[in-house]
Amino acid sequence: MTINWIGLWTMVRRELQRLMRVPIQAVVAPLISALLFIFIFGFVVGGRIRNFGHYSYLEFVLPGVVMMNIVSAAFLQATSQIYFQRFQKSIEEILVAPLSYVEMIAGSISIVVIRSVLTAVGIMLIGWAFGAVHMHSFPEFLFWVTFVSMIFGFLGIIVALWAKTFEQLNILMVFFIQPLSMVGGVFNTIEMLPPWLRWLAYGNPLFYFINGLRHSMIGFTEGPAMFGAAFTVMLAAVLGTIVWRLYAVGWGLRE
Amino acid sequence: MTPALEISHLRKVYRSGTVAVEDVSLTIQEGDFFGFLGPNGAGKSTTIHCITGISNPTSGTIRIFGVDAVANYREARKLVGLSPQEFNVDPFANARNIVDWMGGYFGMHSAERKRRVDMLIERFELVPHANKAFRELSGGLKRRVILARAMVNNPKLLILDEPTAGVDVELRMDLWRYLQELNRDGTTILLTSHYLEEIERLCKTIAIVAKGRIVRNGPKEEFFTEPGGLERAYLAATGKAADHVAVAAK
Repeated sequence: MTINWIGLWTMVRRELQRLMRVPIQAVVAPLISALLFIFIFGFVVGGRIRNFGHYSYLEFVLPGVVMMNIVSAAFLQATSQIYFQRFQKSIEEILVAPLSYVEMIAGSISIVVIRSVLTAVGIMLIGWAFGAVHMHSFPEFLFWVTFVSMIFGFLGIIVALWAKTFEQLNILMVFFIQPLSMVGGVFNTIEMLPPWLRWLAYGNPLFYFINGLRHSMIGFTEGPAMFGAAFTVMLAAVLGTIVWRLYAVGWGLRE
Repeated sequence: MTPALEISHLRKVYRSGTVAVEDVSLTIQEGDFFGFLGPNGAGKSTTIHCITGISNPTSGTIRIFGVDAVANYREARKLVGLSPQEFNVDPFANARNIVDWMGGYFGMHSAERKRRVDMLIERFELVPHANKAFRELSGGLKRRVILARAMVNNPKLLILDEPTAGVDVELRMDLWRYLQELNRDGTTILLTSHYLEEIERLCKTIAIVAKGRIVRNGPKEEFFTEPGGLERAYLAATGKAADHVAVAAK
């Protein structure tokens, strides 16, 4: 079976055009929020906190801020893309086209990854202006950005297929993703937590994502790196399979 | 010759339990201009949704030029163009993009797509409106965009679900001429409409659906040899004849 590359590219092209209609929401807002995080937590507060090995607090915090924004950009992109298409019924344009379910999903996930990469690059530029950007391993960095975007893209698609109202789109973000990001080691090491709370960090998937990205940028790690990477690939594969199955049965897509 | 469309014992039950299509079987030969008539809620649009992949059939088979529309959906969809009853588009996108994107989804190369989009934009007199957002267009112009989008991939089977609902006489006449032209050139057309005049004028074969079942199906001539023509046949087939006579008597 040949791949419908033109169809895939059209999905990406179309969504990019949609994003260009909302540049403040899609591009400017995450950058401003990242700038504030970097300034307050990294620069103002960080000035009073001791260094982590060879790195300043700002350099320690930056990968966490990048990861928080990747997670948020990926999830919001996937939910808004699919939910709005369902809401407007323009998803039917995709359903009647000769695109396989894998192609439909790949088209949606590609734009999720593109938006996440653009967000990461934007925040890195801000970090660079503060002299806080390091790159320990670029392939590793790409791995984390891509796989974490895919994971939250898949989660976003599942939520968008399930949601019946705009309100429901935010439930996972507000009650799970944001709190888990905050306690996943963005601003602190696991060592800083009381011993009885450390198990919570190791049980938090966001910890592995933040820790992995931090290692790719400054070479600092607090967890088993290979386990984190294997867990991430497995989670992406499981969620991808679930989304493929939902597309195949038409859950939330077809009447 | 392989039929353009072959539906066998199609049944569609929605999750709510509503039976939208009870048992529909029909065959449309290649080159036919097929009229699909029925009252609101009879199952016309649901049947079309099952053919095109918008709905999952509960049971039964659908073959498009011999290709199974469920098992081999990707190949089947290459052969079909759909103009749905509802405007299922991004209202903020412009007319040209809406048509162009659909060509892209069908895998048309850029140059071929541009030629085709330009031709359709011109054919449907959309040139002055091509760069306007869909939501800014009038109802008739919106319908033209939807029709152009349905034809961008030059489908072998064109499905039009009430394409002239709410459009002015000029567009209706122009569309009729264009559809006849396409049909003469070999495109098979499935048309649903509430305008009996439209069906009479365009179609070669007519099927009437009521309560999710085909209640009449045959060549157009069959309907006209009966007293009262298509209108009476339609009312009789859909069980409305008695009501109609009663209202007329009052």
